[in-house]
Amino acid sequence: MTATDLLVQQAINGLSLGAMYALLALGFTLVYGILELINFSHFNIFMVGSFVALMALEAMGVVGQQTVMSGFPLVGVLFVAFLATTMFTGTLGVLIYRFLLRPLRGVKGPAAMITTIGVSYILFNIVLLTIGADAKNFPNPLPPIQWAIGGAVLRLREVLIWVIALLLMGGLTYFVQYTRLGKAMRATAQDPEAARMMGVEVDRVIMTAFFLGSALAGAGGMIFGLYYNFTSFIVGFNAGLRAFTAAVLGGIGNVPGAMLGGVIIGLIEAVSGQMIATGWTDVIIFSILVLVLVFRPSGLLGRVAPNKS
Amino acid sequence: MVSLAAARLARPFMALPFARRKQIGVGLLTLFILLFPVLHDNDADIDSMANASAYATLALGLNIVVGFAGLLDLGYAAFFAIGAYYYGIFTAFQVMPPWTSFWDPLAFVGLVEKINQGGPDLVHFTLSFWIALPTAAVVAAFFGVLFGAPTLRLRGDYLAIVTLGFGEIVPIVARNMDKVTNGAAGLNGVQAPRLFGTSFGVSATPYYYVGMAMVALLIFVSIRLRDSRIGRAWMSIREDEVAASAMGVNVMRFKLLAFAIGAAFAGMTGVFFVAKLQTATPEMFGFPVSTMILVMVVLGGMGSVWGVVLGAAILQLLQSWFLQDLTQWIHALGELTGIGALGRVDLVESIELIFGIILVVMMLFRREGLIPATRKTAALSLDAQHAVVRRGGFTGLEALGTQDRETGNALDVRGVIVRFGGLTALNKVDITVPAGGVVAVIGPNGSGKSTLFNVITGLTPADGGSIKFHGRELIGLAPHDILKVGVARTFQNIRLFPNLTVLENVLVGQHARLRTGPFGAVLRLAWVRAEEARARDWALNIIALFGNRLTPRANQMVSALSYANRRRVEIARALASQPKILLLDEPTAGMNPAETLELAEQIKSLNNLGLTILLIEHKLDVVTRLADTVIVLDHGDKITEGRPEEVRRNEEVLRAYLGRAAGEAANAA
Repeated sequence: MTATDLLVQQAINGLSLGAMYALLALGFTLVYGILELINFSHFNIFMVGSFVALMALEAMGVVGQQTVMSGFPLVGVLFVAFLATTMFTGTLGVLIYRFLLRPLRGVKGPAAMITTIGVSYILFNIVLLTIGADAKNFPNPLPPIQWAIGGAVLRLREVLIWVIALLLMGGLTYFVQYTRLGKAMRATAQDPEAARMMGVEVDRVIMTAFFLGSALAGAGGMIFGLYYNFTSFIVGFNAGLRAFTAAVLGGIGNVPGAMLGGVIIGLIEAVSGQMIATGWTDVIIFSILVLVLVFRPSGLLGRVAPNKS
Repeated sequence: MVSLAAARLARPFMALPFARRKQIGVGLLTLFILLFPVLHDNDADIDSMANASAYATLALGLNIVVGFAGLLDLGYAAFFAIGAYYYGIFTAFQVMPPWTSFWDPLAFVGLVEKINQGGPDLVHFTLSFWIALPTAAVVAAFFGVLFGAPTLRLRGDYLAIVTLGFGEIVPIVARNMDKVTNGAAGLNGVQAPRLFGTSFGVSATPYYYVGMAMVALLIFVSIRLRDSRIGRAWMSIREDEVAASAMGVNVMRFKLLAFAIGAAFAGMTGVFFVAKLQTATPEMFGFPVSTMILVMVVLGGMGSVWGVVLGAAILQLLQSWFLQDLTQWIHALGELTGIGALGRVDLVESIELIFGIILVVMMLFRREGLIPATRKTAALSLDAQHAVVRRGGFTGLEALGTQDRETGNALDVRGVIVRFGGLTALNKVDITVPAGGVVAVIGPNGSGKSTLFNVITGLTPADGGSIKFHGRELIGLAPHDILKVGVARTFQNIRLFPNLTVLENVLVGQHARLRTGPFGAVLRLAWVRAEEARARDWALNIIALFGNRLTPRANQMVSALSYANRRRVEIARALASQPKILLLDEPTAGMNPAETLELAEQIKSLNNLGLTILLIEHKLDVVTRLADTVIVLDHGDKITEGRPEEVRRNEEVLRAYLGRAAGEAANAA
């Protein structure tokens, strides 16, 4: 491979990672935009999502690397697994909000954030205790189709990941911009009190944000499995920290910002893994987080969060 | 019968005052801890108590950061790791440079020794445990400042995630720098401490005593800091950063101080822990450890010194004793009932799950922790609650001493501009406040009155112009420095420190006038005691100015006060800073006419004492009664200035307040 080929290959890898981080970052951003809360449970909702997708696929007989499908059966199986995953994680997010976070609304200080850390820890350990510490093989039902771009290789799974991510992000953008509930959501993000007085059911808006954010995290978890062909109880932490960095980089609370940030972080991860050393990738990503927060806390596209004086 | 006897014994004990009971309790606890290894000669149990002591010191350190200063640090284990590796590297057989004559003097004082493993002579570091303990505190504190300096400016929630990242990076660095740290395999052969020529070896008892001594020391340090100027400054930051800076607290410096002291505790603990285990691996310091310490603090009670020690003890006992027993009981129950699932339950392995549940349950049902940091105060008697409106201003002002009457202009605001994006909040505003005068600023909502106060007190940066206070430029000074030169303020939407008492709130006002630093606070030397006593007297005198309104409530939380009393506390807090000028932002808002009159006369009496006053007020009768000069702002412009009765007739003022038609009507008339 020439240097250019390497760069193209890393761009392909980076875009795939970026698509996954973007989906995860959207969940952080939706919730932060309304509640000004860093939802640490998001880290492991993503991880749970990857396991739900795994179980859904295995339940449909798609196991390990042997089952290869194509055409409508493939699309059907993936779609069912996708639905199961997003519905499960979305509902999980809503339940977490409804029973553990809503009682803390209006409580000042770090109580809500500490709760999300606790929830994240609970999810993490439930999976660890019930499924075990070993990495699990994630099915790969995609036919081994690939295209050569110079010396680089573009596989079907990458194209699939991009298509899923683009559809989801397009759908979310449409929802936020043009639907009634989406408008209510943006209004609540600007000023929850004013929105409430104008008749917005703030609680319903928040639940929607939790549902959508968690569903997208679940989708991200499924993509993780399809991309890496494994999953483990531990994958939520790194992906979560990167996705949060992506959300901050794009401007927290800002929906297009989260997508842009996700793609940038994915590319940085791919390129730094190639050019420096994978052992230091976390340090690099994290340094970006600190630098952005210190020098440009509003991110690339601007921060959107409730105006509290 | 037993309970009856216990009750009979308990009755005289409960009759003792709380402080006395506490002394007895601490005495008994100390005795128990000293005798425990003698009475209970079980190495495993003593060992787990020694581990508990290490957790307790970590919890005490995190409590300073999270509980006192309100900074949620999710990567606290990083400092634990730094202390651990510091001691580990300088005693293990890992870093061994070749021997040269440079090392001779260090060998003489016992910091290194010459060894030979075949080949050239090498240097083996032999840092003494007793030197490592205090120096690790310094090293970790240095890293605390290093990590804190760029990040402590961030909002609280961002700080949490940044510290989480730091907590991740430190073990990664330890893993990757394998030449120094031996990477993932970890350091081996870390030396055990030696005392009077004998090594601690592997027996748990000496570690137990060292650990307990550290806990005792750090409890002492924590309590001394908490009950001092330093602790009050931290808690004021936790409660309201903006108000703290406006009351003279250098927010950044005190956050860094909290971070550094918290880190120092962790660094010392790192030395102790590694000396005890005689190994250090990156896995010992990851996110789970930071979380565990946080769980201890949350369980015991954020900000509660005894609480976090209890939290640490409970979690350690849970891990080493209760959960094992409980698991066996569940297994027995499983066999008895024939439910196989019960036989597979292992609570010891589920400890992290239990941590998560503790965090969630505590936040939902008992946020203040097992031992709350603040004790509930008794309700006031009817007599103490009774307050009558008093006329004629403050009495007893002589207790505050007399102010030097100054001449000339106290405050000179010239051409000040403030913009928020496209909006010009203040447009080249000029204001002069003569020393000893009362100037009132009026204007419709959104006219820039509060922005004017914010720019004078340094909370909002100016985009142009100059603000001179007795000839000294204020623009560019930090809020706490502006308070120091004698400008104190209150806020329109009351910014007190809700979870501090009335007295503590007023004492924070004294912050800039006191000198006690962290060492002074811990050692509590004679001058520190005298200073604190003076500060208390001064604060109580000021509270006493408001008579029955505040004095009976001096030890109540501000959050329990009525709206009008909170306004009074805010004024008392500002007065406590011994200001030359007092900026009052709608001081009588929310008060009934009688209370308004009372406060207006009190403000007048302060002015008679020589205090200059700049006032924002909507109630025109208050303005007329108090002000020599009235300034009218509208949409960021000063539209007029004059004596109260002149301003009341000014048509531009009428237009600004009542609209164009009203202005024209006045004109026609």
